Amino acid sequence: MIEPSPVSSSPRRAWRRQRDRLATALIMAGGIGVIGAVLAIGVFLVWEVLPALLGGVLEPSQIRTTLTPMAWGTLKAAFWAMAFAKPLALGAAIHSSLFMSQRLRSRMKPTLEMMEAFPGVVIGFVAGLLLAPWVERHLAGSLALLLVLPLGVLLAAEAWRRLPAAGRRHLPLTWAGLWLMPWLALLTWLTLAFSPGVESLLFGGNLREWLDAELGIDYATRNAMIVGLAMGIAVMPSVYALAEDALSGVPSRLGEGAHALGATRWQTLWRVVLPAAAPGIFAAVMIGAGRAVGETMIVLMASGNTAVMSLSPLEGMRTMAAGIAVELPEAVPGSEAYLLLLLAALLLFLFTFLVNTLAEVVRSRLRRRYRWLGGSP
Amino acid sequence: MRRRRPLPRSEGPWAWLAAGSVALSLLMLTALLLLIAVRGLAHFWPATVVQIEMQDGRLLAGQAVRELPLEEGHGNERLYFTGNRDLDGEIWHWLPVDAIASVERPPELTVLERRHHGRFIGRLIAVGDAGTIDGNHAQQAVWTRLEARLAALEQLRGERERLRREVLRPLIRRLDANPNDADAQLALVEANARVYDLQLAMRGEVALLESVDGRRLRQPLEEVLRAWRPNAMSLPQKLAAWAGGVWRFLAEGPRDGNTAGGVWPAIFGTVLMVLLMSLLVTPFGVLAAVYLNEVAHQGRWTNLVRIAVRNLAGVPSIVYGVFGLGVFVYGIGSSLDEWFFSDSLPSPTFGTGGLLWASLTLALLTLPVVIVATEEGLARIPVEQREGALALGATRFETLARVVLPMAVPAMLTGVILAVARAAGEVAPLLLVGVAKLAPQVPVDGEFPFLHLERKFMHLGYHIYDTAFHGSDVQAAMPLVFASALLLVLVILVLNLTAIFLRHHFRVRHGVQPRP
Amino acid sequence: MISFGKRHGRCGLRHGCLAALLTLLSAIVQASEPPVGNLGVVGSDTMAGLMLRWGEQLSERHPGIRLQLQASGSASAPPALAAGTTRLGPMSRPMDEEERRAFTQRHGYAPVEVEVARDALAIIVHRHHDLEALRLEQVDAIFSRTRRCGDELDITRWEQLGIDGRVGRIELHGRNPASGSYGLFRQRALCGGEYRWRLNEHPGSAAVVAAVTESREAIGYVGLNHLTPGVKPLALEDADGELSLPEAEQVRRGDYPLSRSLYLYANLPPGKAPSGPERALLELILSPEGQRTVAELGFVALSDTALASQRERLGLDEPLP
Repeated sequence: MIEPSPVSSSPRRAWRRQRDRLATALIMAGGIGVIGAVLAIGVFLVWEVLPALLGGVLEPSQIRTTLTPMAWGTLKAAFWAMAFAKPLALGAAIHSSLFMSQRLRSRMKPTLEMMEAFPGVVIGFVAGLLLAPWVERHLAGSLALLLVLPLGVLLAAEAWRRLPAAGRRHLPLTWAGLWLMPWLALLTWLTLAFSPGVESLLFGGNLREWLDAELGIDYATRNAMIVGLAMGIAVMPSVYALAEDALSGVPSRLGEGAHALGATRWQTLWRVVLPAAAPGIFAAVMIGAGRAVGETMIVLMASGNTAVMSLSPLEGMRTMAAGIAVELPEAVPGSEAYLLLLLAALLLFLFTFLVNTLAEVVRSRLRRRYRWLGGSP
Repeated sequence: MRRRRPLPRSEGPWAWLAAGSVALSLLMLTALLLLIAVRGLAHFWPATVVQIEMQDGRLLAGQAVRELPLEEGHGNERLYFTGNRDLDGEIWHWLPVDAIASVERPPELTVLERRHHGRFIGRLIAVGDAGTIDGNHAQQAVWTRLEARLAALEQLRGERERLRREVLRPLIRRLDANPNDADAQLALVEANARVYDLQLAMRGEVALLESVDGRRLRQPLEEVLRAWRPNAMSLPQKLAAWAGGVWRFLAEGPRDGNTAGGVWPAIFGTVLMVLLMSLLVTPFGVLAAVYLNEVAHQGRWTNLVRIAVRNLAGVPSIVYGVFGLGVFVYGIGSSLDEWFFSDSLPSPTFGTGGLLWASLTLALLTLPVVIVATEEGLARIPVEQREGALALGATRFETLARVVLPMAVPAMLTGVILAVARAAGEVAPLLLVGVAKLAPQVPVDGEFPFLHLERKFMHLGYHIYDTAFHGSDVQAAMPLVFASALLLVLVILVLNLTAIFLRHHFRVRHGVQPRP
Repeated sequence: MISFGKRHGRCGLRHGCLAALLTLLSAIVQASEPPVGNLGVVGSDTMAGLMLRWGEQLSERHPGIRLQLQASGSASAPPALAAGTTRLGPMSRPMDEEERRAFTQRHGYAPVEVEVARDALAIIVHRHHDLEALRLEQVDAIFSRTRRCGDELDITRWEQLGIDGRVGRIELHGRNPASGSYGLFRQRALCGGEYRWRLNEHPGSAAVVAAVTESREAIGYVGLNHLTPGVKPLALEDADGELSLPEAEQVRRGDYPLSRSLYLYANLPPGKAPSGPERALLELILSPEGQRTVAELGFVALSDTALASQRERLGLDEPLP
């Protein structure tokens, strides 16, 4: 902040100074007011819920039966979302910050960042009404994809190594993010085409019945796997963007030094860059988890809202956000149901706020560390 | 013997898996976008109508929609959209593919879009007065006649709407104010008579229709909105029909419990709400950012507040919805009702969700975005600029208003656009604070005070959720849901692109670096 | 939720405006001129589509009438009727004692109940399912964890129902607790018991139908107006072994156990035939044309005798004074 230079005292000057004081005061009042309004959210929730909690309007047993399945479901949904989003987002961040060609990267980053604003209601609708029944019909194929796609990538890597040099120049690793796409699409198609045959050979034609009969595993159409995948797609871009920032913010001289000592790019990454950027990546994952915890529409539309408490990714759950969205408009203000939902909202608020604060603190430490290491922030 | 060249040193499997995750992410996003775009746009294409003969001799006409496997080894079954709800009681038929004997595409098959009972698919036999109609006309002549009559009816319908809007409603309002206004009463009777006349002119004519299995139907022409013969249409005609369909989707209101018609009120509602929200969020967001960055003492507390504000961007939108419901609707809204609208209690005016509360809630939700973006913009402005202005004798306010803020405008714009993009796609808080399933009356009209902030409104995102989950028939609504989804995604994409462009433009123009 | 038309125009803010409007209306009606005015309706969202369609038809018959619908649920109708802010309230359940008492206290006479249509909850399975009928106790054993209707065992697998070739766990689909269907089904089919934890609680009936259409293991319940050929409604078997399907005739007679009536409650002073726009609306609803709309939207139309008796009770057959 810079103090204005003292001004001499002609009447016009005086008036200007008056105006300056007035404006500053107004800005101050307005700014504090706005910030107060924004922060009022937490205050409001505590204000409404706390008296009920202390005054015994809400019975602890009541809270337990209603909120436990919801809290469980919330964490479960977020866990599976991160299980899908984390490897994808971090892999993509590593590739684009270290290996990808500059030209591709400058286009890819905004594209993925734009996906951050992809509306949850659209993803939820596609996941709930199209993806869930589709996966149920192609269960064997879909599960096989989880295995086939990574193996397919490794296969491509091995094939690439055996290519003549000219071929390698045409398909450089720096552009692999793009030219692997048709290969993965082909693999997907092949897997789906062959899976019914494999399914009837190994599992008597119906994996779902086999799972039920042999392993006693229940498969619900609207399950945590579907929600995880859908929410993974929704969360992935923001995790990617933050992790990418952390990785490419690592001072370049660190990496260069490692290269000069003969490390491969991967060794450099693993031993030098990743440890340096680890807090930033941690923060990215935390922020992603925070978003997954609060995502409403996807869970509402794709999860089935069953109040079961199980670990299985093949069963459904109910989350706090979805519960609030459906039940709150019908709840009578001040009633028990209303207060319970408000309590759920308070928990959501506290959880995301704490997670984000943690992430923010970690990130600001990281920025200081980079500056200390001598790179540009 | 030539020694085999050693394989090049590899980056190892992990590097490739990282590349694979980029490819997979892009693949999934592309697939999602393609799915929405194709299914959303295909809906308006005048699809071929087939006539199916089943092995048991049954005849049906319709459009194939999807195909699913039957129980193992029994082949597939296909879902046909067959329309004719008034004849069959249903608009869908699931047919085992093995039981279909033949599929033809007779060019004379006609599709009628009707106001009641949905579409008709079948043959057009005759068009004429209800009393004298018979089935002895050449096909082509009947078709031309139908087209001419439909065009005429469209005009009459427009005329009736105009009468209602411009003559009847003002008269009713006048009588509302002064019940003994004899002139108005007389004029009202007269106007009523004119509307009756118009309706009489619209009635009377029927189309004689026949389903492919020979059941006949007398369809009052007044209820027919459009007619087309998809199998006889050329490519340019189909393209024109497609464009017309897209236009009607954008410009019309929903019909038939949201399973037909367009989304105009939803577009209007979304845009209006977002506009109101940006009107609210821009000044307040900028004010807070200016305070934090220029006025407040830069100490530990300010930093804490800054972090808190930043974190609020990560608080789930549904929590903001809860806040909106508890504070705006039940708190402020109920008090407003008690003070100013006690006449109409217990039915609430502002004590229920509405446009104003929705905009306010979303403004609160997006405030952190605007504050953070503006602050970043302010921080990027070199300190020399400020020092220069101050050295020339400007007060702090003048420096701020003439030098600093103009330079931060692009950053503010970026923030607002990002806020708008976020708000346009946000549905969860709206479930709590005032979105409506069906509000054919948009919140802006010719009645005082013109902008009705207490009204519920339609929203594109909510429209998607509602039609997909609350409608009467998901299968029928699905194409419209896809089209709405495509529209929403496009709107948000355009807003985001604008933000990215502005950010780029800003960085290039000022070439400023962040403050060290 | 639906809002149709302006709820609070100038009239809502003015004292005595309603009275003035009514004088005007009766004056117009007496001169045998067309009824004119805004018809405010507050109530059920299940019936929103029905009311909107009737409103459309009404303004075609009488261009001067405009229906303004505020549909935020059946529970919103009784207070609005009692307070006099609306004179017509559609409800998907009958008024309870409390609500009736509040109305009578305020106005000195009871609200007039008009049955306008019949509806039912259908229990649905996949269209290729072999199951045809269930006993109500079985329904309870499938959907509830309390089994208050008296069945001995929980039914969680299709094998327990003894149909050929259908194995696997039963996947349950239903509505969210805030909906009327949830309450009705719980009261009538579960004997007031509790749902199983495993129930998929969908936020809309269309989602239930979509889920059951896609899955052969699924069973669910929805209102009649949501049925499609993708799902099969099951018959219910009573204690004597009689089957009843959720079809028009059985629902109309009330033989199907999960059927209900849809009502329109009106604030009509006793001893006087209704007049003006209200009379026009009631005439339309209780006419063959109005009942055709009921059937068209997937509900069940009333029988002719029920229509005739209600017309007589309301005095719609008498000529206007």
